[in-house]
Formats: sequence, structure tokens, C-alpha cells
Amino acid sequence: MKRILSSLGTAVGLAVSLMAIQQARAADQQQIKRGEYLARATDCMACHTAPGGAPYAGGLPIVSPFGTIYGTNITPDKDHGIGLYSDDEFFAALTEGKRRDGANLYPAMPYTSYHLMPREDSDAIHAYLETVAPINRAAPVTRLSFPFNVRPGLMGWNMLYGKDVKLTPAEGKSEDWKRGQYLVDVLGHCGECHTPRGLPGAMQQDKRMTGGLLNGYLAPSLLANDLAARGWTHQDLSSFLKHGMSAQGTMFNEMFPVFHNSTQNLNEPDLASMATFLLGDSPPQARVLSEVPLDKMTESARRGRQDYLNVCAGCHGVNGEGKPHIAVAMQGNTTLRLDDPRNLLRVIEDGIGEQKFAGFERMQPMPGFADKLSNQQMTDLISYLRQAWGGQPADLLIGQIEQLKADAPVEHKAH
Amino acid sequence: MANRPLHMTLNGQSVGPVEVPDDLPMIDYLHEYRNLTGSRLGCGQGICHACVVIVDNPDGTSEEVRTCITGAHYFEGKKVRTIEGHASRDESGKVTELNPIQQRFVDEFAFQCSYCAPGFVNAATVLVEKLQRQPISKSQLEAVIEDSLGHHICRCTGYVRYYSATRNVLTDLGLVKEG
Repeated sequence: MKRILSSLGTAVGLAVSLMAIQQARAADQQQIKRGEYLARATDCMACHTAPGGAPYAGGLPIVSPFGTIYGTNITPDKDHGIGLYSDDEFFAALTEGKRRDGANLYPAMPYTSYHLMPREDSDAIHAYLETVAPINRAAPVTRLSFPFNVRPGLMGWNMLYGKDVKLTPAEGKSEDWKRGQYLVDVLGHCGECHTPRGLPGAMQQDKRMTGGLLNGYLAPSLLANDLAARGWTHQDLSSFLKHGMSAQGTMFNEMFPVFHNSTQNLNEPDLASMATFLLGDSPPQARVLSEVPLDKMTESARRGRQDYLNVCAGCHGVNGEGKPHIAVAMQGNTTLRLDDPRNLLRVIEDGIGEQKFAGFERMQPMPGFADKLSNQQMTDLISYLRQAWGGQPADLLIGQIEQLKADAPVEHKAH
Repeated sequence: MANRPLHMTLNGQSVGPVEVPDDLPMIDYLHEYRNLTGSRLGCGQGICHACVVIVDNPDGTSEEVRTCITGAHYFEGKKVRTIEGHASRDESGKVTELNPIQQRFVDEFAFQCSYCAPGFVNAATVLVEKLQRQPISKSQLEAVIEDSLGHHICRCTGYVRYYSATRNVLTDLGLVKEG
């Protein structure tokens, strides 16, 4: 009898242990799945994956005013990746910019925003990254010029700016707004590009989200009133994040990989929350522009109309109506409404490569016209685009275009 | 829409000025105003390159320009060549001799339905003239051909023979050096 009872006890004990293991595994799986979603929201992929390279194996060159920084290998490889990192060490890297060996990471790693991430989210991302394929290859070594190559020198920078991003008080705000703030300000670290940076490369927090410069392009203001002036509604903004396109245009330049690797993978309630945070619980009215007749335009813009018909209308439509799956409409286009003509100039000069969007949606490549249009033609064309569909009635001066061209990073000047 | 005068040099002849709508695509101008129907309207999106013409720049270089997405007035004052302008003709306008590219494409059956052929001929002609100014070495040949013809689309999958004919004509014309 004793033996029977003992056997029974062992069996029950085993069953309980098995259940506990299964529950733990289920919890692990849940944590990994959550971590994968969070890694999408934080867009680790964008910097830690080279074009055509293995996921998270590093190697992407990130051009900064201080030199080129390479995204590191964050696969679980023990030699070249983060396979030896504990949860504590991963959390320190994510939120304090501390490498496992104690060295400071360069603040191209947005720990300045991630420092507001709770530990459980960091652990979940770490748990997920431990499941990706380990790649036994070192990413190129970052070599900045003196004095930026002195990593201990970052200690002072970190003390001054490392935790500079602060959450806006959320009293009286909706739950959606609060969730959106976490997604935009912390996980999505949107402010890292959409905030201007000062001399030591730190974000100017007093001008937070008013727009920053990135490789010659403007990451435009994300302030609610500015978004509304550029035609954004809550629905359009959340749809834009999901599909990469909307009536206001398509994601391009640095935002295209953000859409591709990050925002299109987020669920719709989260994207709606991001739009709620950006536009506010009571969004300002989106500005609607009426068509401006040609005889109300300046002489430069009227000249630019012919340049538009010559080299743009074939795809964007004679009346700026665009062509589905080929080219975006100029009517309602958000880039045309920016006060700063920089992005318009850069896009016309550089063109845009063919783009794949969600599902089977595609947009054809746009050729660049850097060597096709003179400075005067470019000035006239941009004046026309801004006056016709951008709500910007003033003429551009040729000097502004010449200055913007002179200010372009080296890769743009090569044109 | 408004008309405005348009003048250009087309296949060596001064054409215009003629009143043309300001938003007329070049391919429509060629087809409807000049009866030059050899440039083909394919995708209408600037992708297939069946519609390209050659523009001769003042500096002696030439380039392909897509006429389906480019307005006729872009060509104001420019020197333009179309597929109809390559062959030699007698006084009555009858073709007496194809240009080397055209002849080679015919000899080697480089095309099937021929819809893309005008674009390929123009691209290969630009390439021949470019190499006449600056020959290349044999090791560069494949990359240069790909760079010059690779953006043209052929739905009959004739790429192999287009490339082969181009390779042969460039070699025969002495534009490829050993090395």
C-alpha cells in the first residue's frame, strides 16, 4: 500500500512539474512574442541590419556629423553578438548606453529615449533577440575622428543629455494618448530624428518634435498644429503608419525603412494611439486647401508650370491628381506644404527608388532631375508646386535653392 | 490647357515652330503631329523604355529620354533622334542602309514581336556612340552592356540575343580593347 501511495505521489509530483514546465514555456513563448512586437516598435532592425544582410547582424553605416557609425551585431552569437549579455547587461545597454564591457555606446543608439522603457519590456526584447539566428560575423568597427572616438568622453555627454527625453505630464489625457506617448517618445524614439540637434549632437529639448535634419532631408515637425496645417487627420496619420501611404503621400527617404521594419507591423490600436498622441485627444482641424488658379500665381510659378508639365505631369498628372500605383498626387501632398522647401528639392534632385508597400501595393521609381533642371528651372518648379498645392503663396528665390544645394551632404553634391 | 510654339531638330531636320498644347506628351507629338510612329507606347509609366528617343546634347554626348512621361515642350530647341532617323535613305526617302545596330539586330534575330526594338536600338546606338568617344576594355563589356540595356523590357524574353548582337557589333566596330 505504501509503495502504491509512494508511486502515486511520484506520478502526481511529475505531473505537477510537467505542468509547471509547460506553463513556464508558455510564459516564455508569450514573452518572446511580446518581445518580437516590441523589437518592431523600437525598430532595432533599421540600424542593426545591413541592406540585404542577416536580420540583426549589424553592419548598417549610419552617417553622422562625427563620422560613420556602424550598427552592431545584436544576434545571440557569443563572439560577435550579444549572446553573453545577461538581462541586466541588456537593460543597461538599452537604457544607459553601456556595453557589456562597460564601454559607452555612441548615442546613435537611442538610449536617450529608451531610458524610459520599463525593465519587463527590455527583458522581453532580450528574450526575443535570443531566439534569432546567431550570426558569427563581426560588424564593421566604428572609427570616429578625435575626439569623438574617445568613448569615456561620453560620460560627460551622458550626464548632461543621456536622460534628457522626458515624458510629458499625462494628467487629463486619455489612455490612448498615454499609450501613444510610450510608443512615439520611447519605443519609436521618433523625437531622435524629428527634434533638432545642437552642437554636441544632443536633441534640443526646448524644440522637441519641431523637426530635425537628417542627411540633407528634413524630418518634419510632428507638433499637432503643424501636422494639421500639412493636412493630417487622425485617421490618415494612423493609416499612413500602417500602409506607408495616404492621401498626403508616401513614406520615403529615411521613413521608408521605418515603415517597412517597424510601423507596418504594429497593430491598429497602437497606431491609432500614436496618432492620438501626436495630434492630441482633441485634434486641430486639418487644413484644406483650395485650388489656386494659374493667374493668381507669381511669374516664377507660371514658368514652373511648364517645367511641371514637361517632366512631372507624365506621372503626377496634369492637374496633380497622381496615378494609382505609379506616382503620388500633388493635390493634398504634405511635403509641398512644408515651409522649408528642402525635401521637395532633394526629392526632385535625387528621385525615389521603387517602393514596396503593404500587400501588393507598389509605387514606380521616380527619376532624379539634378542634372536635368537648371537652378532657375528648379526654383520656378518648386514655386509652382508650393503655390498650386502647398498653400505657400510666396516665391522662392534662386539664392535659396543655391544655398540648399550648397548645404547638401556630399552624396547629394555628387549629382 | 493652352497652346504654345514648339521647335526642335528632329532626325536632322528643323521642325516648327508649331503650336502644340502645353501638356502634350512627346510620344503623342511624334505620333500625331509628325507621323513618326516608330517610338512605341508600352507601359506609359516610364518603366519599359520602348518609347525612348535620343537627345544629342551640345557637349557632344547623347542620352535616352522617355517620351511617354516627358512633355513635348521639354524638347524645345533640342536635337532629337527617333528610330526613324537611324537608317540611310535615298532622295525618295527609301531606306538604303540600316545603321550597324539595326543591321545586327536583324541579322541575329535579336527581337521577336519587335515592340521593344526601337527602344533597344536607341539604347544600343547611344552606347555605340559613347564607346566611339571612349572605347572600353573587354573585361568591362558585359557590365557596360547591362548598364546600357538593362532598363529596357522585352516581353518576348529576347534579352539574350539583344545582348549578344550588341556585344558582337561593339567588337566588330573595334570599340572593345583587349584586357
